[in-house]
Amino acid sequence: MADQVISMQSVSKSYQDFQVLDIPRLDLSTGIYWLKGENGAGKTTTMKVLAGVLPFRGNITLNGHVNSRQQPVQYRRLINYAEAEPLYPAYLTGRDLLELYFRTKGGDRQPVLEMSAKMGVDNFVNNPVSSYSSGMLKKLSLLLAFVGKPSIILLDEPLITIDAKTIAQLYDFIREVHAEGVSFIITSHQPLDSGRLSIAGTLTIENKNLILN
Amino acid sequence: MGVFNRIFVRRFFVENIGFFLILFYFLFGVVNASNLLYYHMGLMEGFLTGNSFLALVLVLWLLYNFKCIGFVIKTLQLPQYSFLYDTMTCMAARERKTLWWRLHFRMYLPVFIYGGIAAVLGICKQYFVPAAIILVFNMAMCIWPVWLYEKKLWQPDVFFFATRFSRWLNKLFIKPPVLYFYYELFTAFPRKIFTTKIWSAAVLWLTFFLMGQSDFYDVRALQLGMIVSVLLHTQLMIHHRAFDEIYLPFMLNLPMSTWRHYSRVVGIYALMLAPEAIMLFFQSAGHFTLFPLFTCIVTGISMLILFRVLLYFPRMNAEVHLRWILVISFVMLFMILGDVTWWAILGLHVLAAGIFFRKFWAYEPWLESE
Repeated sequence: MADQVISMQSVSKSYQDFQVLDIPRLDLSTGIYWLKGENGAGKTTTMKVLAGVLPFRGNITLNGHVNSRQQPVQYRRLINYAEAEPLYPAYLTGRDLLELYFRTKGGDRQPVLEMSAKMGVDNFVNNPVSSYSSGMLKKLSLLLAFVGKPSIILLDEPLITIDAKTIAQLYDFIREVHAEGVSFIITSHQPLDSGRLSIAGTLTIENKNLILN
Repeated sequence: MGVFNRIFVRRFFVENIGFFLILFYFLFGVVNASNLLYYHMGLMEGFLTGNSFLALVLVLWLLYNFKCIGFVIKTLQLPQYSFLYDTMTCMAARERKTLWWRLHFRMYLPVFIYGGIAAVLGICKQYFVPAAIILVFNMAMCIWPVWLYEKKLWQPDVFFFATRFSRWLNKLFIKPPVLYFYYELFTAFPRKIFTTKIWSAAVLWLTFFLMGQSDFYDVRALQLGMIVSVLLHTQLMIHHRAFDEIYLPFMLNLPMSTWRHYSRVVGIYALMLAPEAIMLFFQSAGHFTLFPLFTCIVTGISMLILFRVLLYFPRMNAEVHLRWILVISFVMLFMILGDVTWWAILGLHVLAAGIFFRKFWAYEPWLESE
């Protein structure tokens, strides 16, 4: 595939003796993918493995040449991740986190700051995250996932805990960023709005294997 | 009042029963019963007549007050007592402040009674100034925490030193990752870090005291003091690992090299011994040159780094960790006595870096099975 964004070869993940994932091979081209699965199927584990947050066996390559093991720093510059239930040290402020992401992920600050203003994150960005509601924390974590110049953004349950206005804004952001060539893998128990996003494919986890439908 | 009394006062005395038993043993159990009254009168007269002794006593009472305050604040942070925010904020301000005062007074009562008796004795013996100081001090100790409890109640997110100043500081200053663990220690475990530092300072002070007594200043004796100080710090490492596991997985998605992650660990433990480095510098004036002091501090930092890095072996629980710490400390001690300190330091660093670079990305918390 010419525009192959992510390629997994012999990827497996076990928690001690319990195997959760066993993906012989999967290649995804640029697009927006909906990762579906029941509770406990391994969606979040898949996302964390792809994000480089969890150790695993096998190989993951981005853009055909950036390998997660051989170029770990470059790999993480190209893949961003927003957790389903983000957790940060209580005393850090949104600004502390944004600055850390800007400093490490690089990229243009302006679009992210505009996004922050639209989502209303700039109203509470100087407060410690311990004072945030779950929705505010989720907004911050989604915002952080757009920092830098990623090739692929992983959004784990992005539609939960945020209000309808932010959901609409999020769809707009995803569409705009995707138009610049960024791919998305989104897990969601609710179906993604096909009127707002054009889904390239649906991913499901069957017998520990990740399958593109 | 009854329910608040149970939540705060009764729990305070029940949970600190060991502390009070030890305290009562030292105050009332070590002296012959027939001499007890004279012993305490002598003790009181001692701090009524001596300024530095009085200052020491006031510091101890202040520490006890901090213990009471810490207990109330910690209770307010426990999830099972979150209902206190909904209920207490509905009370009239005057009623609530009186309640806080009564609760705190009951916890502070042992000191208040002792201080009160001392003040009465002072008045009888015409030591009016120290008696007045004791009375005013103890009354202040009962009143000012009310302000703190009120602040905590209305700003539950406010932690240890989170004041308006710190909010202003948040806008001005971006917290570097090397300080994250320190913020965690000072907000979630302030007592642990303070007691560690006090004990560590005491050990180093004792080291200098013993060297001074024998008039024999040897860097190896200082190194021994440093090793004990390092051992006191190791209790913080299990917290550090838990903190990294729970709160910092997001950093694994950041494009940071292994070397940069390692530098953070080195930075954390270099900073940890900064107060000891300052103390060594001032205590050792005229007895040691800078190089042996530097060697001593580097030894401490290197040991701390290796001890922390050992926890990247997932199955390294607290007990196994302690065993390794003791083994390594003994080896270090013998290498120091054998005058090969810098080789030992080099060994510690090679080992620490080797383990870190091998284990950091592969590390996952180990789930202990029954």
